[in-house]
Amino acid sequence: MTLRILVVEDEMTIAFMIEDMLVELGHEVVELAMRLPEALEAAQRADIDVAILDVNLDGLRSFPVADILIKRAIPFAFATGYGAAGLEEAYRNRPVLAKPFLSDDLRKLLSQAISA
Amino acid sequence: MFPNVGGQLGQLIRDYDWSATPIGPLEDWPQSLKSVTEMLLLSPVPIVLLWGEDGVMIYNDAYSAFAGQRHPRLLGSKVREGWDEIADFNDNVMRVGLAGKTLAFRDQELALERHGRLEPVWMDLDYSPVLDETGNPAGVIAIVVETTEKVLAQRRVQESERRFRALTMASSDIIYRMSPDWTEMRQLDGRSIMVDTEAPSIAWMDDYLLPEDRAATQAAIDEAIARLQPFQREHRVRRADGSVGWVFSRAVPVTDENGALVEWFGAASDITERVRATDHLRLVINELNHRVKNTLAMVQAIALRTFRHAANLGQAQKEFAARLMALAQANDLLTGERWAGASLFSAIRQAVEPHQHDAERCTIQGDDLNISPKTALALAMAMHELATNALKYGAWSNDHGLVAISWTVEGQRLLIEWRERNGPEVTAPTGRGFGSRLIERGLAGELGGKVLLHFDPEGIRCSIDAPISVVVGE
Repeated sequence: MTLRILVVEDEMTIAFMIEDMLVELGHEVVELAMRLPEALEAAQRADIDVAILDVNLDGLRSFPVADILIKRAIPFAFATGYGAAGLEEAYRNRPVLAKPFLSDDLRKLLSQAISA
Repeated sequence: MFPNVGGQLGQLIRDYDWSATPIGPLEDWPQSLKSVTEMLLLSPVPIVLLWGEDGVMIYNDAYSAFAGQRHPRLLGSKVREGWDEIADFNDNVMRVGLAGKTLAFRDQELALERHGRLEPVWMDLDYSPVLDETGNPAGVIAIVVETTEKVLAQRRVQESERRFRALTMASSDIIYRMSPDWTEMRQLDGRSIMVDTEAPSIAWMDDYLLPEDRAATQAAIDEAIARLQPFQREHRVRRADGSVGWVFSRAVPVTDENGALVEWFGAASDITERVRATDHLRLVINELNHRVKNTLAMVQAIALRTFRHAANLGQAQKEFAARLMALAQANDLLTGERWAGASLFSAIRQAVEPHQHDAERCTIQGDDLNISPKTALALAMAMHELATNALKYGAWSNDHGLVAISWTVEGQRLLIEWRERNGPEVTAPTGRGFGSRLIERGLAGELGGKVLLHFDPEGIRCSIDAPISVVVGE
């Protein structure tokens, strides 16, 4: 099944890698947001099945983006260099991927997020 | 037989040749002298009688023990000769006593030689006149109670007390005393770090601890009491200036001579700065770890991207190495400024300099700005891609092409332009490679602005338009 995905990642090289990996997995990256304002806007508006969120966006936390997705009942997962320890208590039950990761890890993360 | 009492001294007095002394033979002693001699021989307290003008010495068993090796020579001797080292003192005693007056000394220190050397001795001394049959003072009776041990013990206690005071003054620690069950704080000397408690207080937990720390501290106290072992704990406290700080606190149980718990005595040092430094260090380590992971992810991304569609592996390896160098240099730029930000000019120059050493063929112009670390990194990576392209296909691929990099600030926007000229004629590419994607989408995304690549025939032009609020450093 092709998923429509929002990717929030503030490092451009990593953002493109995630995008490439997702495309190779047969999905469609409908939005790629590298900064919090764009990410909030995209989370509000985009027609997506699932989102992958970096936690630290140039010093700002992406949790407000997660809150919007929760309201919209859109599943999401975190991909972060901090690992699960970097998550606030309220988001600890969400699937999380520690950077760096492999394409296969990303595939598992997506299926976890969708089935959660 | 006289005297018919008095242990060893009774015997010695009977056997002594008193005729050689100013007192004369025993059978001639007046009744008053006999009575007082028998009285002192019966006493368990050290007593010496100094009879006559010369103070001839008559004493009991207890006094002989006090006299040490001076006994038995003292018996029958004149007091100023018997105790020659304190002759002046005894001259005064005789003078006062024979004048009918008493003398009393408490813990009087005198230097006596009783065991082969002169040593200080402390005594309680009571002197009273002894009257003869005519009612006149004929001698002086002295009760001698040695207090040397008591005085030395007191001195040791006083010295220990002084040393203890010095210790508490020398230390900058907060000092406190608690009741045996810790319900009451008896005293706390806060050393201006914490507010003093001068009178016993049962509200000490309210005064010094944070409500959320009370249970854990109480548990540590309970354990110390149960085991009668030192209490030791690092915990938060309210400080005198109202702030919350940290102390390392340690208290030991103090028992009386019967082993019963009297109180807990404790000292606490202010470790607020240390705790803060440790917390900060932990934060820095976490952040560093995050950045390392992130950088590795970037390296992974660059590797995947460079090798994915590589037609020529050797060429791809060179490109990969060059991109890693660009990343490493951009990182140097940031570490030089402790990751707080970097100069726009340096970020650009460091990215392009390795590709073009001839300053005339690469001009960089604009008023320098302090830019955020992320902007510096993204810009350096994009500039690297532009420079690589210029070297391969553009203005730096011949021997006279030029690149001009310039920027201006217009209102709230930073406008950067890369403009090539005098290179080979440009034809727009059919597809977009990693470089142009990184430049157009990547940089635009990171800066929250617009980045456009123009394939003008006379040279490639890249225009960057970013909100100043995003790019500037702190």
